[in-house]
This record gives sequence, structure tokens and C-alpha cells, in this order.
Amino acid sequence: MTKPMETVAPFKEIIDEFKEAGAVSCSLCYQCGKCDVVCPWNRVKDFSMRKVVREASLGLAEIEGEEIWTCTTCGTCPDNCPRGVGQIETVVSLRKVASEYGVFPGSVKAVRAVRGSLTADGNPLQEERANRGNWADGLGVPKFKEGMEVLYFVGCYYSYDPRMKKAAVATAKILKQAGVDFGILGSKESCCGESIRKTGGEEAFRSLARENIKTFIDNGVKRILVASPHCYETFVKEYPEFMVNFEVVHMTSFLLELLAEGRLELRGDFAKKVTYHDPCYLGRHNGIYDAPRDILHKIPGLDLVEMRDNREKSLCCGGGGGRIWADTHKDERFSDLRLAQAEEVGAEVLVTSCPYCITHFEEARLNLADDAKLEIRDITELIHEVIQD
Amino acid sequence: MEKLDKELDRIMPGGTFGDVMVVGGGISGIQAALDLATSGFKVFLVDRAPTIGGKMAQLDKTFPTNDCSMCIESPKFIECDRHPNIEIMTYTEVDRVDGKAGDFTVSLTKKARYIDEDKCTGCTTCVEYCPVQVPDPFNQDLCGNKAVHIYFSQAVPLVPYIDERCLYLEEKKCSICTAVCKNGAIDLHQKPEQIEINVGAIVLSPGLDTFDPATRGDFGYGTYENVVTSLDFERLLCATGPHEGEILRPSDKKHPQKIAWIHCVGSRQVIEGGNSYCSSVCCSYIQKQVILSKDHNADMVATIFHNDIRSHGKDFERFYQRAENLSDVTFVRSYVQASGEDPESKNVVIRYSTPDDGVKEDEFDLVVLGVGLCPPKDSMGLAEKFGIELTPYGFCETDSTNPVQTSREGILVSGAFRGPIDIPESVMTASGASAQVGEMLDYRRGKLARDRVYPEERDVTDEDAKVGVFVCHCGANIGRIVDIPSVVDYSLSLDNVTHAEEGLFICSTDAAAQISNTIREKGLNRVVVAACTPRTHEPLFRDTLREGGINQYFFDMANIREHCSWVHSKQKEEATVKAKDIVRMSVARTKNLEPLQEFDLPVTKAALVVGGGIAGMTSALSLASQGIDVHLVEKEKDLGGMALRIRSTLDGLDVQSYIKELIEKVYKHQRIQVAHSATITDVSGYVGNFVTTVEFEGRVREICHGAAILTTGADEYKPTEYLYGEDDRVLTQLELEEAVVKGDGRLAEATSLAMIQCVGCRSEEKNYCARVCCGQAVKNALKLKEDYPELDIYVLYRDMRTYGFSEDAYREAAEKGIRFVRFEADAKPEVEAATDDEGRPVLRLTVTDPVLQKNLEIDNSLLVLSAAVVPAAGASEVARWFKVAMNPDGFFQEAHVKLRPVDFAADGVFLGGTNHYPKNISETIAQALGAAGRAGSLLSQDTVTASGSVCEVEEDDCVSCGACITACSYGAISFQDTPKGAKAVVNPVLCKGDGLCSAKCPTSAIVLKHFTDKEVMDQIDAALA
Repeated sequence: MTKPMETVAPFKEIIDEFKEAGAVSCSLCYQCGKCDVVCPWNRVKDFSMRKVVREASLGLAEIEGEEIWTCTTCGTCPDNCPRGVGQIETVVSLRKVASEYGVFPGSVKAVRAVRGSLTADGNPLQEERANRGNWADGLGVPKFKEGMEVLYFVGCYYSYDPRMKKAAVATAKILKQAGVDFGILGSKESCCGESIRKTGGEEAFRSLARENIKTFIDNGVKRILVASPHCYETFVKEYPEFMVNFEVVHMTSFLLELLAEGRLELRGDFAKKVTYHDPCYLGRHNGIYDAPRDILHKIPGLDLVEMRDNREKSLCCGGGGGRIWADTHKDERFSDLRLAQAEEVGAEVLVTSCPYCITHFEEARLNLADDAKLEIRDITELIHEVIQD
Repeated sequence: MEKLDKELDRIMPGGTFGDVMVVGGGISGIQAALDLATSGFKVFLVDRAPTIGGKMAQLDKTFPTNDCSMCIESPKFIECDRHPNIEIMTYTEVDRVDGKAGDFTVSLTKKARYIDEDKCTGCTTCVEYCPVQVPDPFNQDLCGNKAVHIYFSQAVPLVPYIDERCLYLEEKKCSICTAVCKNGAIDLHQKPEQIEINVGAIVLSPGLDTFDPATRGDFGYGTYENVVTSLDFERLLCATGPHEGEILRPSDKKHPQKIAWIHCVGSRQVIEGGNSYCSSVCCSYIQKQVILSKDHNADMVATIFHNDIRSHGKDFERFYQRAENLSDVTFVRSYVQASGEDPESKNVVIRYSTPDDGVKEDEFDLVVLGVGLCPPKDSMGLAEKFGIELTPYGFCETDSTNPVQTSREGILVSGAFRGPIDIPESVMTASGASAQVGEMLDYRRGKLARDRVYPEERDVTDEDAKVGVFVCHCGANIGRIVDIPSVVDYSLSLDNVTHAEEGLFICSTDAAAQISNTIREKGLNRVVVAACTPRTHEPLFRDTLREGGINQYFFDMANIREHCSWVHSKQKEEATVKAKDIVRMSVARTKNLEPLQEFDLPVTKAALVVGGGIAGMTSALSLASQGIDVHLVEKEKDLGGMALRIRSTLDGLDVQSYIKELIEKVYKHQRIQVAHSATITDVSGYVGNFVTTVEFEGRVREICHGAAILTTGADEYKPTEYLYGEDDRVLTQLELEEAVVKGDGRLAEATSLAMIQCVGCRSEEKNYCARVCCGQAVKNALKLKEDYPELDIYVLYRDMRTYGFSEDAYREAAEKGIRFVRFEADAKPEVEAATDDEGRPVLRLTVTDPVLQKNLEIDNSLLVLSAAVVPAAGASEVARWFKVAMNPDGFFQEAHVKLRPVDFAADGVFLGGTNHYPKNISETIAQALGAAGRAGSLLSQDTVTASGSVCEVEEDDCVSCGACITACSYGAISFQDTPKGAKAVVNPVLCKGDGLCSAKCPTSAIVLKHFTDKEVMDQIDAALA
């Protein structure tokens, strides 16, 4: 019965190092286990955030291990934590320490290359900076000039990823049709830095942020339209750390604005059963739940159904916190569970508004049965379909 | 003249001039009203509900004794109702309070209940005919009730009210109630009435609301049908509940076989919409619900999902063990999520986490949410109306040195409006508030008070015994098991029984009044009530006999509940036969009963307070300010007690300056005499007339006093574990406090300090929680962290019991980096003197961390033991002098754990402070004030009444052997010289009527009145008949 138990000593210097890196609130934990209960990982494998937090507070976290890299920063546990522990800041702090030592275990090896790509080309995808605006070729999208209504900050995946570029194109067409006076920064746009920061890449983040901020200021940017909830998160909550404040609007809110003002008209119908997936960083992190649903409700013929886990309880796609670059075992992908939830309610289309979610869902869609009809769409793609004559 | 008449009207019964208004008629308000009324103040008892009773009336049973809640509370309703100095105003709200202490004008609105209270007889014909069902608020809306109904069967006043959802009130459609009411009591056009009342002081006791999980939809409440709150569950458990005590789950009304309880719902959390404090009572009430559910259904499987188990009250630890040791009851330390509902079975899936097996799911038939306690919903409104300050949580702001005083002079507070507390504390603070009113309004005591007037007692000497038998259903408590109508029929067949009837609750106001009427109308001269226990209800029924105009000793209770229906719940037929046996025995005894007279004794208006710590000084000062002479005796040469060793409290009170001030006040008060270095060498006498001999400073004094308050305090346990006494780096918490004050150099040099909780308690030998240590550890840790920010502090605990608002300090300590490590009872930390890597001597602690499942090895410079609070060394001696009981742990045993928390069973002796149970300073003050309130209430009377059921010696039969004198534990018997020699004589005032002497007497010369041989033998014969 009694197995020999390992003996460890809380290490004052390491506790201090973790604290220095930002793992402060972990000391609040009273080990109730709520984080483990709500964590999506425990639907696919054993993972104990409680243990990570406990280890962090005693200076016993293994910075060379996988555990500290597991969290997708979906935000469910901090929302439910009765003690106010910042689980995300705790794991990010531990990752910072790991980064400083240059330790990246197997599943997150790619992070090293991502950082290189970000430093060299301002994107995580090993694409050339010069090609960032290529998606807009032939669409007549102007470069942003001071005085324009909004800057459309496209984001890395929408700029380079073949699947996501379709959504960027749809967006440009919508904006033009609505007569929005907008422009893009093209090769001057850099990655927002949100996700790299979550991997502990504090320096990479800071230099990306500084770069973007400089560009915004140089170009007289006032209002920024973003499609990725991750860009939204960092612009709204993290860029102010640099003492700047831009007005930031997420695509879903902006589209709703256009519809409300009558600048955009929904002409066609979309007679399908649609379900909406709340991206973690749009919903839980920023409280935007209604705008996308309001838009969908306005689309003629569309039948909106809710999945089991929706709104505050939305199930993470698995792509946050830098996990978009990590290897996740094929039996442990939340996106498979999520698609099953969509099918469970008979949805034909799964709509969302986040490039990571779409990327993961498209990948998971390949695992569906051959006759499965589920489509994955960005909300802009849907709108684009119904505003055409 | 006209002016005088008007003034007379105002102060007469029903007038608008009084001494005190008690706002809120729950148990706390009721206690305050009774204490105040008894001590000679005219009281208005106001409640917004249609009846008094409050939350306690909704509870099924009370922990840790599992007494039936309504059964112990409802006699107090009637006591209030019958008290000549209490005017009950229900369905009434306070709008405004003008004026100042001593002269408040309170504006109230009496809501329309659409029933004329004066005309209504409570016959409930209207209820029978009313066609409309509305959700029943008393039953948590779990079932329906008529739009016109009596709030609950024992309601006071026993008058229905009409819900606003009545067809007439909503649509002017139906008025059948008006037609069927023979007394014309229904008034569907009744308007709210504005009233102004003048009082000198106000006691606020508006109680609490439970946390509403519907707002956030916690754990699926409001979505999943089979998720209920703990208050809902109280009703489900209760015989008067929606299913008459059958636990049926909402979805399909089936008996749940598998129930989950979830702790801390709405409590101990910093999530929006929740409360950061601990609600203090939920751990124990959940254990109670588990125990009761197992009583209902022995096969039920229970899982309790919890965090720290907080069994910090008297006897709660044993209660916890009792629940834990039941079969199929599992305590799981995990907060949970209700992750789904089975669409078919409507069972609820609960997700929880374990350190060993990760996250698991289990399905339950029913989920009970342990909802926390909140301030009353409109506490902001209350604050505005009464002009008082609230805490940030919305509870009433009080000062820790005067826990019953609000921020406005003349307005006091009692009960759960002060914070989350349980029933005994609500009662203590009620008595405490009444003490403070007594201090303030002593000058007008008795001016408006009236005496109770009873009809003249009928002489029945020449009558044959005419016995009336009243058989009670006790809701479903008895009626569900025993066939009541057949018991009634059977009773009528017995000799001397001339009347028998049944009742749903014979203890309700109307039923009791009905008994008085029946006595008169049918000329009854003996009464048997076949119901519950004389322990709680005999005084009520004796009073009923007096109302009926016959001697109160012509009464007997046949206990067919505790002795029958409760113990034979599975054998209905046999139970009915036994109930008949019990009634037959009772009737046989009753016909022999004799009229006995009680007599009044004068009261010495002085009090003795034993123990000069904070409790004793607080009691002494309050009594003295109530106009009573106080003798304060202290065994040490200085006043102050344990508090002299305490630096500050968790809420920041500077204890040393407070105590200095208190001592000064005591010495300055003209009515207080202090005896230092004092020893009690003799106590004689009885309630109202004690004589205590005290030796002090070489003198001997006999003190005459009417009441005594024992405030003898407690000691700190002297540890024998963890190297205490062997290694001077091991201290107790009190020693640490002294070291902090002295600026002990070792603290500045220390790099790491660990505290170990539960040293000397929560063990087999001391099976209780010392309550204060967790708060004390947090307090000291915070202070150390403030003085020595670099110091590493570890607190090793089993359950952090920072109940109530001290939960915030616990969180603050964690936030400041103080590290808390939990250990299991069977894996206590180990300590050894060792040297660290750098060769420094350390105290090395090894403890298993349950989350990491690894041993932590922590090197410390100092080790602090949270040593238990143990009964004071001399406590048992004091107990012997005053003939008061102690519990198995050596703490003083109060008369009733819930409702008489500062009284002893021995009349005239009260208790306060840590000799009752460990408690912090604020709690000690509250209880000491409570004791002063109770003692003050007694001493404000001119006389006390002694029982008629006492022993008497037949002088001729006495052979002067002295056996009776040795047998009597109260010193009530002594020899007296008579012409026939020395004969034993009983002092009836001292006699408690236990009959020991009577049993010992070789010649049967001693008779215990009311339990004569004839009475008892006939009863036994009837049993065998």
C-alpha cells in the first residue's frame, strides 16, 4: 500500500525567481480542485492545474517538463477560481523562466522556430514580411492613410494562411461594399505578439508591440479593426502597458455596427442550421458573446442552434496560449470534441471568428466521417455570402 | 382631563408608547423581546412576515443535537404571545426612525393581510374554500398553498393572510372566503395602515437571507430540476414540508437514493456575485442533513463535496465524525461542477477532482447546494431607515468590543444581521442587546410593565377526576406512524376520561387556547397531553391549565413521540398499541394528581461574577450599569485573565489598551466590588438568594447575591509534542505573541518559521476543535510578515477554520506569501533538530503535501504550536460549588445548546466566555453581555418562583438516619430539632425534585410531591394491565 514517497524541499531562490517572473497569485490557492474540474484537458487526459499552481507556489515546478506548457489559456479556471488565482499568469511566468533557460520540451519545440520567424519577419509562419499584404492583390485595398475611418489590422493567419486568407478577402469585400473608408498596413504590419507572450516570449512580444505601436503612431491610426480575438486581447489589454490607447474594435462588433447603421444590407438568405463557437479570447476573455449571435440572428433563413458548451462555458479549440504551434496528440484534441458537439445539435455550419479556432476545426473536420456535412466558416465569409446581389 | 385620557390610551395595551421595539421576530428577536419584557420593559415585536419565527421555523432539526427546530422554537412564540409586556406586530415594516436614543419615533406600515385579526378565530374555513393555489413561501415554493392561508401551523398570530395573487385582489373575480367566514373577518378592501410608535430603544434582529444560486445559475440551479438549496432540503426533510417529511426529488417525486451535497455555495470566493467570507454554519448543517437523510432512508448513498470542514463549534467535531462514520457516506475534498443532466432520468452529473485519480464524474439523483448566509436582501434599505452603518458586505457594522451596538446610539443589533452566525450566538447576542437596553433604560424599567393575570383557580377537592386527553399529530411526526383517531377512541374508553380529542399541533396558540376553553366548558380537572416531551412543552401546557382555571399540577404529558413514533417508525401498528399504553399509564397517574402551590421568594438584587477576565469584567460592568450591585471575584492578583497575554485581535483591536480601559472602568464603577486573589470556600442558597463565602487577601466575606455568572475562562494547552519543552525554539502561539511584543531577537534572525495547528485537540483525548487557533495563527503570521517581510512562514493545518469574516484574513495571508500546507490526521508533521546545508542549526519539519503527494522538508528557525484552548484548572471546583454540569471535554454545559446558551440548568447561575467553549474576544464579549442580560432579567424581578414538585418529610416516620441528607446533591435537607428529636427537613427552595432522598429513605418518610408512590404505582399497574 505505502509507496515510498519522494521528499522535496521548497526552494526559496526558485520561489523568488518564479515570483520575479510574475507567479505571484499562485500563493492564493487553497487547493479546492475547481480548476482541474473545469479544465478542458481533463476531458481528454489527466492534467492538474492545481498541481502546477501548487508547485509554482513552492518553487517546485519542473520548468523542463511538459506540464507547464499544457495550458491553452482558455480562461475557464481563472473565471471559476474562488480564490482569485491567476492560473494563466502563473503558467506564463513559469514559461518565461523556462524560456530564459532555453528549455522547450518535445511538444513545444516549434516555439523556438516561431520566435525566430517573428523576429525576422514579424510573423510566426516563416513567411516573408514582404508578402504580408499579398492576399489583397487585385482587391483594390488601399494602404492605410491618416484620416481614414479604420485601420484593418489583418493578423498573421488571415494574411498568410491559405484557408484564412479567404476570410480576409471576404472582409475586404464587405468593407468595400459598406463603403468603409479603410486601409491596411501591408508589410508594415507585424504580428500582434499575443500568443508568443503566452509562451513566455516576453522580449519577442515587447519588440513586436513596440514595432506595431510605432507604425500606428507614424500612420496616425486612431481606430483599429481586428479579426483575431488574440489581436483584440493584446491591443485592448496589453498595449496600454506601453502607455498608448487606440480604439480597438473586433470584427463582430464592427459588422453589427455596419448592419445597425444600414451601411450593410443582408440581401440573400442562408437557410442552414448554424452553430456559433465562442472563441476563448472573444468570449471569456473579453465578454463578447452577443455581437456575433446578433449578426447571425439577422441573417434571413439562418437557424442558430447552441452547442452544449456555449458562451461562458465554451469549449476551447486548443489553440490558445501558443498551443497553436504545439504538437497535440491526436487523441487529445479539443477540436474533435467540439465538432462532435456541433454535430450533436445537428449543425450544418460551425461559425466562429478566430483564425486559431478555424485552423483547428478545419483540421479536425478531416477526421469526421466521410458523409459528414459540417462546414467551418468565419463569420465574415457568411456575411459576404448574404450581402451579394 | 382629555389630554390625560389620551396619554393613558397611549400607554395602555394596544397603545403606541413603549420602551423597546424589536425589529425582526426570528429566534434572536424573540429572545430579545422575552428578555426585555421579563425585565420590565414594554416591547413591540415587529416582523414583516405574517408570523414570528424567522428562518429557524423553516429548519427541520438543529445541529448538533438534532432537536426538532420548530418544537423548540414554537413554545417561545406562545410565550411571546402570552407575555403581557410584548405586543406582536406581524406583516409590518418599519419605514422610518426619527428621534434619538431614549425617544425614538418609529413609523411603520402594517401591510394589508385582508383579514381582521381581531375577528379571525383561525378556524381556516376560508382556506378550505379558497380555489387558488399559490407557491408556498414557507415551503420554499416547493409546493402550493391556498391564496389565503396561515403561514404555518404554529404561526403567531394564528391568523391567515391573503396572498396578492388572490383572484379577487388580482382580478376582482372570487370572494368565496368572504362568504364562508362566519365572523366577517375577511376584508378584501383592507388598506395598509400607517402607525407611529414611540420607544426608548430599538433592537434590530432582521436575520439573514440565504445565498440565491439562481442569480448565477450555480451548479445548474434553476436549470436542472434536481438541484435544490439546503434550505429547500430542510423543508423536504421536515414533517410539515411539501411531502410531509418524505424526501422526494422535484423531477419525479421519487425517493433519491444517491444524494450529493456541495459545500461553500456562494461563500469563500472572490468570484463576482459570491461572498468572500465563510458562512460558518454550512459544514455542520450539511452534516446534519446527511445524518437525517440516513435516518429517513438507511440505504441512501451520500457524497459530500467540500473544502475545509469547519467544525469549530461546541460538539461539532463529534457531530462531523458521526456523519463521517455512517455507512455509504463519503466526504470528498473537492469543489465541483455540475457538468450535465441526464435527459431521461434527470440525474445530475457532478465532476470533481482527486489528487490520486484526477478528475472524475459521478451521477446523483439529487444535488443539495450548501448555500451560504447573506445579509437580509434589503439591508441597504434597513441601513437607511434606521440610520446605521453597514460593513462592505452589507451586514450591520458593529465594534468588536461591543458586538451588539450599531453605529447609532439607542439602536442595538442581534442575530445574523451581525454576520454569519448560528442559533446560539443569535440567542446570546439577543440577551446581550437586552442587557444594553437595560443599561440605557434602567430608569424607566417597570413603568409600563404589566403582570400576567390568570383566572381564579377552581377548587376541585370534591370533584371526581375528570380527565381530558388531547392527542397530538405533531404534524406528521406522530400522526404518520401512530393511528391518532384510534388513540382518541381508546382514551375515551378509559376510566375517568370524560373528554378526548386530537389536534395537528396541540402546542399551537389556538389549540392551546382551545384546551383552556375545553377545561372550562367540560369542567375537566385533569389534563393529559399525548404528544412530545415535557422537557420543552410542559411549561406551556401548565400555563394552559392556569388559563383554564385549574391547578397547573393537574397535568401530565404522555410522550408518544420520542418514546413511540420516533423509535418505532417502521412498526406502525405496534406503535399505536404502545401509544395507547402510554396514554393509559398517564391517565392512571393523572387521576391521583394533587394541586400543588408554587411560592414566591424575594430576590437579592446583587450578582456574583466569578472570574475577572474580559468576560467577567464585561458582565460585571453591564450588570452594574443595569443598576445591580456586583461582586467580582478573581483568583489572580490582577484583573485581565488570558487577555493579558494577547497582543491584538484579527480585526485590529489593541487588546492591551482595551483591557486597561476595561479594568479602569471596573474599578471606577461604584456598584462593582472586586476581590483579588480570591478563593470560593462555600456556596449555599438558591436562585435569588445565594450566599457565597469568599476568601481573599487574608479576609473572609460572605456575599449575598441573587444570581451568579461564571466567567472562569480557559487555559492554553501545554504541549508535550513537537519538541515543546525540550527545544526552546519551539513556542506556543501565546508565547509567540509575547515574543513579538518583546521584540525577541530570534524573530529578526529567523529565516523560516512554521506553525502547526491542532496541537492538543481534534484528537482522541481532546475530541473538539479549539476554534480560535486558526484565526490566531493567521493573525500572528500576518503580524510577523509585516514586521519581518523576508521571513518565510509556513502554516501546517488540517482544516483552516477561519470561519466568518476571518476567511478574508486567511486569504490575505496567502496573498502575502504565507504558505499553507495541509496534513491529514494520520500523517502528522514530524520535527527534528538538524543542521542545514550551511551547517546552521534548524528545526526540520517533514510533512506530506496532499496535492503534490510528496514529502515536503522545511527547515525552520522557529516552530510555533497552535496549542489548544483547554478548560481552566479550577473549573471543576467552581462547577461543584455551583452544582453546574460540565461536558465530557471539561467545558461548562449550558442548559440548552441552542436556546439557552448562557444559562445553566441550575437556576440563577449563568456562564460566559471561554469556560463555555473556546471563543475569540468579540465572541466572549457577546456572550458575557448575553449572560449579563439573562442575569439582569432575573434580578430585575422582585421575586422568583419555586416549584411545587418538591420533597416533604413526614416527621413522624423519620428515624433520623440521615440517609436523605447524604443523598441530596443540592444540600436541601438538614436536621432540625423538634420536640420528637432531630428530624430531617427539606428546604423546598433548594429541592430540585429529583427524588433521590425519597428512594433512599428506609421508612418512606419522604414523599416527592407530584410523584407520590400512589401516582407512580398506579401508572405502573396501568402499564401491566
